Amino acid sequence: MTNTTIYPARRVITMNPAFPTADAVAVRDGRVLAVGTIEELAAWGEHTVDDRFADKVILPGFIEAHTHVMAGGVWQFPYVGYFDRADPDGKVWKGSTSIDAVVERLIEIESEMTDPAEPLIAWGLDPIYMPGERLVAKHLDSVSTERPIFVYHASGHLATANSAMMTRSEITEHTEVPGVIKDADGQPNGELQEPAAMSLATMAFERLIVAIGSAQAKWGYANEARNTGQTLITDLGTTRINDPEQIDAWEEATSDPAYPARVMLAGSPMFGGEEDPVKLAAIAVDVQSRNENDKLRYGIIKLVLDGSIQGFTARVSWPYYYNPPEGAAENGLWLIPPDAVADMVTAHHKAGLTVHAHCNGDQAAQVFIDAVETALERHPRWNHRHTVQHCQLTTQAQYKKMAELGMCANIFSNHLFFWGDQHRDFTVGPERAARMDACATAQREGISYTIHSDSPITPMGHLHTAWCAVNRVTASGQVLGPDERISVMDALHAITIGGAYQLKLDHEMGSIESGKLADFAILEEDPLDVDPMTLKDIGVWGTMVGGVAYQAAARS
Amino acid sequence: MTDSDALIPVTVIGGYLGAGKTTLLNHILRNADERIAVLVNDFGDINIDAALVDSADGDTISLANGCICCSMVDGFIGALETVKAQSPSPQRLVVEASGVADPQQIAAYAHMPGLVLDGTIVVVDADQVPKQLRNEYIRDVVEQQLRAADLLVLNKRDLVADADRVSTSIGSISDAPQLSAVNGELPLEVLLGIEVLERDAAPGPVADDRFGTWSESFAEPVDRAELVERLEAQPDSVVRVKGFVRLNDAPELLTIVHRVGERLALSPGGPWDGSDCQLVFVELRSKNSVADVTLVTERG
Repeated sequence: MTNTTIYPARRVITMNPAFPTADAVAVRDGRVLAVGTIEELAAWGEHTVDDRFADKVILPGFIEAHTHVMAGGVWQFPYVGYFDRADPDGKVWKGSTSIDAVVERLIEIESEMTDPAEPLIAWGLDPIYMPGERLVAKHLDSVSTERPIFVYHASGHLATANSAMMTRSEITEHTEVPGVIKDADGQPNGELQEPAAMSLATMAFERLIVAIGSAQAKWGYANEARNTGQTLITDLGTTRINDPEQIDAWEEATSDPAYPARVMLAGSPMFGGEEDPVKLAAIAVDVQSRNENDKLRYGIIKLVLDGSIQGFTARVSWPYYYNPPEGAAENGLWLIPPDAVADMVTAHHKAGLTVHAHCNGDQAAQVFIDAVETALERHPRWNHRHTVQHCQLTTQAQYKKMAELGMCANIFSNHLFFWGDQHRDFTVGPERAARMDACATAQREGISYTIHSDSPITPMGHLHTAWCAVNRVTASGQVLGPDERISVMDALHAITIGGAYQLKLDHEMGSIESGKLADFAILEEDPLDVDPMTLKDIGVWGTMVGGVAYQAAARS
Repeated sequence: MTDSDALIPVTVIGGYLGAGKTTLLNHILRNADERIAVLVNDFGDINIDAALVDSADGDTISLANGCICCSMVDGFIGALETVKAQSPSPQRLVVEASGVADPQQIAAYAHMPGLVLDGTIVVVDADQVPKQLRNEYIRDVVEQQLRAADLLVLNKRDLVADADRVSTSIGSISDAPQLSAVNGELPLEVLLGIEVLERDAAPGPVADDRFGTWSESFAEPVDRAELVERLEAQPDSVVRVKGFVRLNDAPELLTIVHRVGERLALSPGGPWDGSDCQLVFVELRSKNSVADVTLVTERG
């Protein structure tokens, strides 16, 4: 007795160059039996025909190789970001495009809160789009003078507290912690800059940490993936793989048949992970070898070398930053001493793991690429697929060397839309901004690459991310670096088999072909037929993961 | 002042990878005569002498001499909660900054309630620093660390042929006093400043003949501006001044005086109990390791 279902479609785009399109796909036991005509598939024997996708377009499930589980946790708090954004239940929250709009939104939320002792915590504020305006305590005091309020900015480097939160946190005119900003009268104005100052608001942080670790976060994370077509999402270094409780919590969530995505967990020395690279590598190898769950994957290590470009904390090469704020340092921050990177990479490399290193700036990328070269000299090894994550300023020469070394790239294309204007005008200037997130260069130099959202930094959704790489249109509507645009077909390659390859999953997923997992993105329109400028607007019916269909939440 | 309401002094130890920060930490732990809590990034490097270890529990190692060592695996705030929960509570915190951290960012935490910044010590590998200051990847990081220092500890100065040139080049970046050391071995009286002073005890000799100390005792309140002016005018060789005075604008209170390198801080020290006030000066008499200096002199 076999259990075969044939799904006819408007078109199946397989991303298998040997068989690029088909009329239908047959699924058996959670895997692709074959693609072809209905007649060809029927010849496999007993089957049922399921017509529900007959007018849809089926693609390989999208592979998102750089996100964080807090993407699902942040929605336990109200969103006050600039752009409209859908939550994991499909509800679209309007963007707040001015300080007044933020205050208005907070008043509305406050009026609906029942427990008077509960603090109001909001997230996503991005004042980079509101030049000249600053959110301070007096704005938030107009929302409430009694309820503690804490607004966490999108950058992660700044928060604003109201007077009630400051009172609860003992922040006064006597507080000398740098980063507690004071007005002309010496009173704290509510702005808390950088971790030392922000951590004074312990009440807010405790709640944020609980939310991120919750089961609800794991489900919201996968639901957001389902809503936008991802079938595998990578929590890149936020989970502690050395903590059995955290692994058990993931095991519990993903082994539920209703859990709508596969998750890859990276080991990391950050966020309380094991810091000794040899020990971390041993833990990563051990957890991978014991894993029997098809929806939970391991095998990669995340390192973070530098900060962010829009925060002027990425390590960029000379001539450094273009138009930095007054008082800013010449260059960004190292999170790992550059001299220590080669030994760290070597430890993971020797253990057979793949290292994914966050390198926003080109100086950071150079250190990582050189470290991979050192590791290879010490310990020759093929198909390691070590990956530069973000790759925002990676140069042509760096891509060439990455190709020589067998490395991959995961390019942060969403930046082009969300911060492209700021990169041109402030961070790196017009010339370097034109070659940021250079998919065309990576492709020309023969690098296997994918693209990403880094959700919750930007919203998850690979059609939007592909749209960014294809069109390179900024938030103000200008094209940034037209010569780095790629074709829709190349973008589809990047978000499917490109992602699978760098995670070493391409033998199982990333294309629709006989023997691979039945992981699909099911779309309302054919991305190869639409105007590339509307790629992001294609409706997503949902996904199929291991032969099980998961319908996206209705947008509301 | 009782232990429970005393501010806990915080010393930050910074410096680039390989400069000898953990060696210095080990030296402090081995020689501590008060309950010091050391916050480190990673136990892996600290290699505490096994004979010293009393017990180890997760993120905390307790030493037989009352000190503890706590990992910042949950961040500074998490580690601070852990050490504050210890009984008896620590009298001092020493925080190791990561090799690429700006020690000033770590020192920011020392302004949190219940804490007071003692000083920032930056450890320098005298042999490597000229190369580091030419290295495009880290030049700015090392310069930032040097600028953040109240005191600089120059390790491996003995290995350097042209040590004066290294000192001059560091001096062009940072005004902090430079103390040369082998394996971080410097007297704790120099490394650590603010303390709950034994009220009647005169300062003992510093167990390192490169340093001299003297003290001043007086009963009368002093003028704030005059005190500040006088302390700021101390020669560069005076690496620390510590003690407590009564200020004429608040004669019923004690004010803790603390000067390390170029940084002077006056902080509230509780009610005056009628006894004499005291200031202790620690002076660097020689930059080199030769025994060519006089020991303690009383000038007070």
